[in-house]
Amino acid sequence: MSARSFGSLFMVASCATAALGCYLVSLRVASERAALENVETRIVLAQRDLRVLQTEIGTRGRLSQLERWNAGAFSMNAPAANQLLGGSFELAKLTRPEKQVDFKAPIVLASAPAPAPQRAPIGQPETDDAGAPVAIPMPGGMLHEASLKTETREVPARTVAALPEPAGMKSADKPVTAAKPARIKSADMPGLAAAQSRPAKAAPTTIAGASKTAPKKSVDKPVLGAAKPMTKRVQLAKTDPLAPLPDKHSGRPKDAPTGR
Amino acid sequence: MNAPQPALVAPRPERLRLVGQRRQMLAVMHQRLMFGMVLYAGLIALIALRILYLAAFGDHAGRKEGLTALIPDRGDILDRDGEPLARTIDAWTIAVHPGKVIGDKLALAQKLAQLMPEQTSEQYFALLRSNKPFIYLRRRASPELVEAVNAIGEPGVAIEREPDRLYPQTSLAAHTLGFTGIDGHGGAGVERAFDTYLSDPRTRGSPLVLSISSKVQQALEAELGDAKEHFSAIGAAGVVMDVHTGEILAMTSLPAFNPNAPGQATPDQMFNRATLGVFELGSTFKPFTLAMAMDSGVVSGPSQIMNCPQVLPAYGHLVHDTHPFGRQCSIAEVMMESSNIGMAQIADKLGTARQKAWLKKMGFLDKAEVELKEKGRPLTPGSRWGPFETMTIGFGQGIAVAPLQLAMGYATLFDGGIYHPPTVLKIGPDHPLPPGRRVFTADTSYRMRSLLRLVVMKGTGKKADAPGYRIGGKTGTAQKIINGRYSQSINLTSFAGVFPMDDPRYVIVVMLDEPKATKETYGFTTAGWNVAPVVSRTVSRIAPMLGVAPDMNREPNMSEVLPYVQEAKKPESSKD
Repeated sequence: MSARSFGSLFMVASCATAALGCYLVSLRVASERAALENVETRIVLAQRDLRVLQTEIGTRGRLSQLERWNAGAFSMNAPAANQLLGGSFELAKLTRPEKQVDFKAPIVLASAPAPAPQRAPIGQPETDDAGAPVAIPMPGGMLHEASLKTETREVPARTVAALPEPAGMKSADKPVTAAKPARIKSADMPGLAAAQSRPAKAAPTTIAGASKTAPKKSVDKPVLGAAKPMTKRVQLAKTDPLAPLPDKHSGRPKDAPTGR
Repeated sequence: MNAPQPALVAPRPERLRLVGQRRQMLAVMHQRLMFGMVLYAGLIALIALRILYLAAFGDHAGRKEGLTALIPDRGDILDRDGEPLARTIDAWTIAVHPGKVIGDKLALAQKLAQLMPEQTSEQYFALLRSNKPFIYLRRRASPELVEAVNAIGEPGVAIEREPDRLYPQTSLAAHTLGFTGIDGHGGAGVERAFDTYLSDPRTRGSPLVLSISSKVQQALEAELGDAKEHFSAIGAAGVVMDVHTGEILAMTSLPAFNPNAPGQATPDQMFNRATLGVFELGSTFKPFTLAMAMDSGVVSGPSQIMNCPQVLPAYGHLVHDTHPFGRQCSIAEVMMESSNIGMAQIADKLGTARQKAWLKKMGFLDKAEVELKEKGRPLTPGSRWGPFETMTIGFGQGIAVAPLQLAMGYATLFDGGIYHPPTVLKIGPDHPLPPGRRVFTADTSYRMRSLLRLVVMKGTGKKADAPGYRIGGKTGTAQKIINGRYSQSINLTSFAGVFPMDDPRYVIVVMLDEPKATKETYGFTTAGWNVAPVVSRTVSRIAPMLGVAPDMNREPNMSEVLPYVQEAKKPESSKD
């Protein structure tokens, strides 16, 4: 009975609740939308600020202004035609591989097997190479080293050279001094061609200077001639070891006395 | 029973009548009540529905209209690379309501004069005492000034933000862009030509992209401006155009104005020499005459030999050359040394009717087809167009066209002979390339390449050469008409060039109005001395930007012309 009489009331209440629920959902949606619009508004405002700032930067850095700065301070010019390259290939063409002579590593080993058979040919020319006075005492000990290091490879040559021509010892001082520049030159420009060209150049001057220089010229040539029968590596090694010689030479006098 | 009852009977009908009336009244009342109830219920229902509708779909109170997207008050104008050339931003405006000023007007006037010294304090005081309701004191005020004025604290001074048109690059491409008036509508250039597009709310949201490249424009303006100053010319004009599409990459007219302050510009500065001005451009016309003759079969080619006397008598006049051959010469030589005598004979062979038809086809007898509204109508001899006028037009005197039209003509000639109308809009998906129309044959176009390259390699345009960029072109020195006569000393020099000549891509036309001789030009005022170097410098600046790779080993087919040129000439040729 009571339930029946309150039935309509319940209906009204449930309707009201449903309506309220719907309204709350709608309210929630509206508030979300408002928040979204707020964000959108802020985006638009930020875009407007961006525009203003971009415009300001653009105006301050306008091309005519840059041109004025360039004329006054930087004075940069348009690149000339030869400063522009067509591609990476042309760029690569500009660089030449740098010729580096590494005196320490592979050449040493390549020359290692050489000592025994080539002592005579190499040595003969090099006798005059001013190593003679220094070289005499060394042969025994240095041969061991010769099979191990470049430095030593040079040494046996001298020792061998010194043996057949003890007379050359007279000129010990002079050849040393005369020989130095030749060695330095060859050190500057390693390679067989350089080695060949150097003596030729040096020849006229030395000939004019003294008769003793003549053997020197001939000294170099036989060296090359002797080098030819060797393997290529040996040839290269022949020229290269000339470079460290000055160092060695300076060191040699120190060593030599102690050795004696 | 009946007798006493009449009284009783009599009222009965009355009562009955009353009952009927009451019922009727009740019915009416019910009806009215129902009607009122329905009305109120309807109203309430209406309101409820409206509320529900608003709750569901309506706007809420805090909603800001029109801010969901940034649509400027007037559309932006961009260059082809997207750099802004014109923009509308909110600028500060300082104004005053004289009636609302509550402080001391004299003190306010003094403070205003201190902050904005363009007017004296007396003038400000007079403004403040006037009866006008509203006076602008400064538009586009700087933020510092606005802050200072605001610090005065006078409520009568109004500080507002209002949309203002700004040209960030100031005078760059000023004539192409134009300007806007105080009402916000375009006064010239693109602003005027595309006013509806830029101001229509439906279209102004998307920017207008021009074919102008601001970098190319700047290079052209700077080099041309230097030359104008150096040779004390009264004016200059320049156009750079894409040969294949007709897009104008740069167009300038000097002296220029600042579109940010159009009110300060003089009429001379406002005058667009590139499109509105028409000039007799002289020998730059010669390639057209030759192309017409070659296309018509009048001339076989660069190898044809013709008579080039010292002076050519023709139709009661004498045609002169600055450096006459006085011998037989080839067409290649006529072109290389810009011989009026040779070209006059070619034009004479071509004839008036054909020349007119060709010029019409090339668009030289009408205004240029560019979108801008400032366009000059070419000047022709009109009814006096006889055989002698045909000759003079053959070498570029007697017909006046705008520099833009000259560029257009060269673009036509070197785009395989196909004409495309010049445009200031970027060719792209929004603005496709309109179909062209054939004017010259492709063969003629090809053969003209080596002829014009020859002019720059060995002829009058040597100073226009930029190593590696294969410029070909033609110098032009036209005598100006002063007081109705051709002046011997006052010239208008021009150069029309195309690069790279082995595969033409861009046309450059530069013009100097009344250049004076300088020490470096040895007293000459001809085009080879003053405008040709501008072309060389400009091209070496813009060509790398335009993707034209320099190549010292490429040239057009010079074997077509070189055999027909006699080498032993004077060392430096300096005529037009």
